[in-house]
Amino acid sequence: MNYPVWEPPMLGGGLIIGIIAILHVFVSHFAVGGGLFLPLTERKAYRENDAALLDYVKSHSKFFVLVVLVFGAVSGVGIWWTIGLVNPEATATLIHVFVWGWAIEWVFFFVEIAAAFIYYYGWNRLDPQTHLIVGWIYFAGAWLSLLVINGILAFMLTPGHWIESPSFWTAFFNPSMLPSCIVRTAVSVALAGVYGLVTASTLRDIALRTEVVRYAAKWVLVGTLIIPLAGLWYISTLPPLAREISMGAAPAVTIFAALSIFFSVLVVTFTYFGPYQHPRYFNLTFAFLIAVLALSTTGVTEWVREAVRKPYIVYGYMYANTLRVEDMSRVRQEGILKSAKFVHDHEVNPDERLVSGEDVFRVECASCHTVDGYNSMRFAVKGWSQPMIEYQLLHLNELKGFMPPFVGTEAERQALRDWLASLNPQPATREPADSGVQAVAPAASSGASKP
Amino acid sequence: MNPVIPAPVPIPLPAPVWLIQLLMVFTFILHLIPMNLLVGGAVILAVSSYRGRNEARHRELARRAAHAMPPVVAFAITLGVAPLLFLQLLYGQLFYTSSVLMAWSWLAVVALLMLAYYGVYWFALQQEELGPRGFWVIALTALIVIYIMRTFVANLSLMQQPQVFYARFLTGRAGNYLGPAEALVFTRLAHFFLAALAIGGLGLAVLARSWKAEAPELAVWARRYGLRWFQAGTGLQFLVGLWFLFSLPAEMRGAFLGGDRLSTALLIVAVALALLALIAARKSLAVGSVAILGTVSLMAVIRHLVRIAYLRPYFDPRTLPVEGQWTVFVIFAVLLVAGILTVGWMLFHFFRPAARESTR
Repeated sequence: MNYPVWEPPMLGGGLIIGIIAILHVFVSHFAVGGGLFLPLTERKAYRENDAALLDYVKSHSKFFVLVVLVFGAVSGVGIWWTIGLVNPEATATLIHVFVWGWAIEWVFFFVEIAAAFIYYYGWNRLDPQTHLIVGWIYFAGAWLSLLVINGILAFMLTPGHWIESPSFWTAFFNPSMLPSCIVRTAVSVALAGVYGLVTASTLRDIALRTEVVRYAAKWVLVGTLIIPLAGLWYISTLPPLAREISMGAAPAVTIFAALSIFFSVLVVTFTYFGPYQHPRYFNLTFAFLIAVLALSTTGVTEWVREAVRKPYIVYGYMYANTLRVEDMSRVRQEGILKSAKFVHDHEVNPDERLVSGEDVFRVECASCHTVDGYNSMRFAVKGWSQPMIEYQLLHLNELKGFMPPFVGTEAERQALRDWLASLNPQPATREPADSGVQAVAPAASSGASKP
Repeated sequence: MNPVIPAPVPIPLPAPVWLIQLLMVFTFILHLIPMNLLVGGAVILAVSSYRGRNEARHRELARRAAHAMPPVVAFAITLGVAPLLFLQLLYGQLFYTSSVLMAWSWLAVVALLMLAYYGVYWFALQQEELGPRGFWVIALTALIVIYIMRTFVANLSLMQQPQVFYARFLTGRAGNYLGPAEALVFTRLAHFFLAALAIGGLGLAVLARSWKAEAPELAVWARRYGLRWFQAGTGLQFLVGLWFLFSLPAEMRGAFLGGDRLSTALLIVAVALALLALIAARKSLAVGSVAILGTVSLMAVIRHLVRIAYLRPYFDPRTLPVEGQWTVFVIFAVLLVAGILTVGWMLFHFFRPAARESTR
């Protein structure tokens, strides 16, 4: 509302954040779990005096550096870049609440990066003891940085007492922070195993490959066994509406939630019967299959976590379109165009109704909807008459629990209605007077499949 | 027409403005060192890689220096996060607006950064395999980092001109703007670019010292060669810097030419330190490096004063409410010291003579 709106065609801002975030999550959790995998495996190699295993750890550390330091670090910065472009108001809010948290995370990030380089370049320069300590320092930095970012992410879904007594501590130690941290740590352990399987599958020495494959498979299994336990605790801390959305109220979200479980089960099954039971026959293709399944699990789970937060971006405080709950009654009275900064007119221009209507769309809806792409409005209102659109706008949050209510003056609502209606050529025969109620049922369910 | 500027977030600042500004400028100085080494280093490596087709010493220089680049990129990114965080805290409503207006360009920075990063690794790890084609890898990388530099200069210049925001919004879809292209942005970019060449050259001279044991002749030559870049970059900067100064709006330029005592004094000391560095570097790299670090630091302060001057008619962060989160701040400060000590401890073990001997 405060800012000009960037509308990436087809994808929309939300999906761009999603794509970058899912890839980042897949790598950043590996950055943490891999940080545990490297020193533990290195220690095992020293203890068992296993030179071949040590060579494997060395080569794995190169892969680790190339994936984690480059893709992990840059994509993390990329999420920050994108949320600033798509949701500047929410980003600014998070930075105001958590700036010292982020500053602390930055210290951990700095230590983590330095340790990773010294670990990687230090194989021949440091004595084994010191090299191991550097590995542990890396892991400490990486996990602590997960701890901080997890607190901020959890805050967005469960801000808890922060709403009535705002402070850094109420925000950080929010209800879902701890269970979510355990889930993410377990995911990190499992992903460390998945990446370990990928590098282990390319080993030439059969005895070594068998040993490392089985070892990495254990990591996957241990990690994935902890996830459902901590996950149940996590789910119990969520707001009731968020739980309902994932358990039937919004079919698409429920399907994705089910897919998340399905993919996890596949990861466990394939890992158990594949590399764990038959490590000798494991190969790179199989490793990629497990990696793709793990990426799919990460993807759908993160998507569900984002989706259940609807209609908010900070639960109970700020709606997904970055309107603050406390501002709603003011905006309802003054109008959205008057409250917005980057619009063509600050009230509906009778000569340019469609321009005003589009401005209302941009300010109030474009953070989740595009015209023609992801969550397309042209598609959503296809076949709807003007009264039908108006009815939907009037009861938006009641018809679709995951959407914020429409706020604005009557003139603004009508301008938006006219603009939405203009997206599709109007059907010639339809009695506008009584079509509203009849059309609601199918429309609501079709809308619900696209949160 | 009044400029259209988004309202700041209705949450108090978690620390007084001076402290945030101090951290912002300080961490920006930290970022400037690897950032300059990255841009300057990539250009110098591209040149050496090209000349290395016929000259063995250039080939050898590129081969050795390339290994220093991956950590340089990593720290340019890592140390860049903090100043941008504090900038968003203080000037978010301006920074996000300018970023949204040039969203595609700004977002492209992330993808380009990743390309440049892999480019640097590719060049460092696969030189044998790449052969003469390595030149194209590092040359493209250099172009990418220069373009990233351009985008930063453009966005941060746009950010301090809120009077153009609304007009820019009306002239096209938000996000498609490539950034302001006026003379000032160009001179600012030229100023940064020359600084990067100079510091990249100085970095090479310093790096060459570590080659003494294995390749004494190369080390001596590379040191001189690096210093030539440093001297050329710094020498030209006296012209380009002057040009930059004169392309500033009159009242701001006036402040540095006697109008404001602090600004004038800072500029004089910064230029004097650059002169000192120019003279001293050949004799003592340590004195030259410290002096030029002084120049860079003072220039970062000057840059901040220019930003304040630009924004004076529109926004002063000192008008924002403050509610210090002191406990968390103290934890941050303690962890920062602990973090620096930890990294110091690791570097000590990495570089201590015993470690170096066991390399071969």
